[in-house]
Amino acid sequence: MIDGVWLWVTLVLMSMTTVGTRGSFILLGEKGRLPPALQRTLRYAPAAALSALVVPDLLIDGGEVTLFNPKLLAGLVVIAVALRWRNPWLPFLLGMAVLLLMRKGLGW
Amino acid sequence: MESAFRRGAREGLRDFLPVSVGLLPWAVVTGIAMRSIGLSEIEALGMNLLVYAGTAQLGSLPLIAAGAPLWLIMLTALALNLRFIIFSAAIAPIFHGQPFARRLASSYLLVDGVFAVGAEKLLKADDPQWRWGYYIVPSVFNWCVWQSCTALGIFGAEFVPRDWSLEFMVTIALMVMMLPMVRNRPMLIAALAGGLGAVLLRGLPLRLGVVAGIVIGIAAGFAAERWLLRGEAA
Repeated sequence: MIDGVWLWVTLVLMSMTTVGTRGSFILLGEKGRLPPALQRTLRYAPAAALSALVVPDLLIDGGEVTLFNPKLLAGLVVIAVALRWRNPWLPFLLGMAVLLLMRKGLGW
Repeated sequence: MESAFRRGAREGLRDFLPVSVGLLPWAVVTGIAMRSIGLSEIEALGMNLLVYAGTAQLGSLPLIAAGAPLWLIMLTALALNLRFIIFSAAIAPIFHGQPFARRLASSYLLVDGVFAVGAEKLLKADDPQWRWGYYIVPSVFNWCVWQSCTALGIFGAEFVPRDWSLEFMVTIALMVMMLPMVRNRPMLIAALAGGLGAVLLRGLPLRLGVVAGIVIGIAAGFAAERWLLRGEAA
């Protein structure tokens, strides 16, 4: 866990990535243009980054890769619910319910 | 007669209001998630004010919790924020002639929702006053909704029992964000390659597997796009 002064340093640096990316062309004005090839490539960054964070958390339980674990099952429920219904609260409610049911109810 | 600024503001708010409803669970969850990894109330509020980017905030939490090195957190936040460069490039013409202070405020406030709803209208409009109202008022409104609902999560988190695995809400949030992105095949391939790459390379030191996964995902998406285009051309 990062804490104390280093946490604040981290937060300030992170804020620079936000304002830096958001402001890139707005602050530059008419001086800059993004090459189309780079623009197309950059489109893949968010999906790749989100997945690189999510998939390990779903597949690794207790340090081991396993297809049978409560988080993966809860994750599949989240995907099904999010694809089926538009209610923004449901994936959180049902995903957490499945995870808690298996961890607390079944002691998995 | 009503000023162009106010007409823009009203139309912007009307267009943006439905989107802001979808924002509420994100904000509350982000607030709870920041507390669940051990940030204090002040630290969580600070993160929210400074970073003000839900995806980057949620994405960096597991890394902050694991004590990952600074540059890795920065790279991951940057990857999650890269889409803003595209938004920024697309929307930049509407700020033609605006002073630097307004451009800076607009940069800090630029979010997916306002861009998605308003970019087309903004780029078609001729009146700078109307554009300024249409952009800045929904953006400030979004900021207020986000900050207040996140605070709700931050201060409400302590009423949730400790052993409820609340950190899993981060994973749920990231997943729900990802789903609408992977509707086309190259995107799906980028996501699958990124995720599996991160799993296979999880043994790398300093949690480098995450960055490696991102690079693999981008490369795979780009390759898939090329390959599919060639298939269509043949």
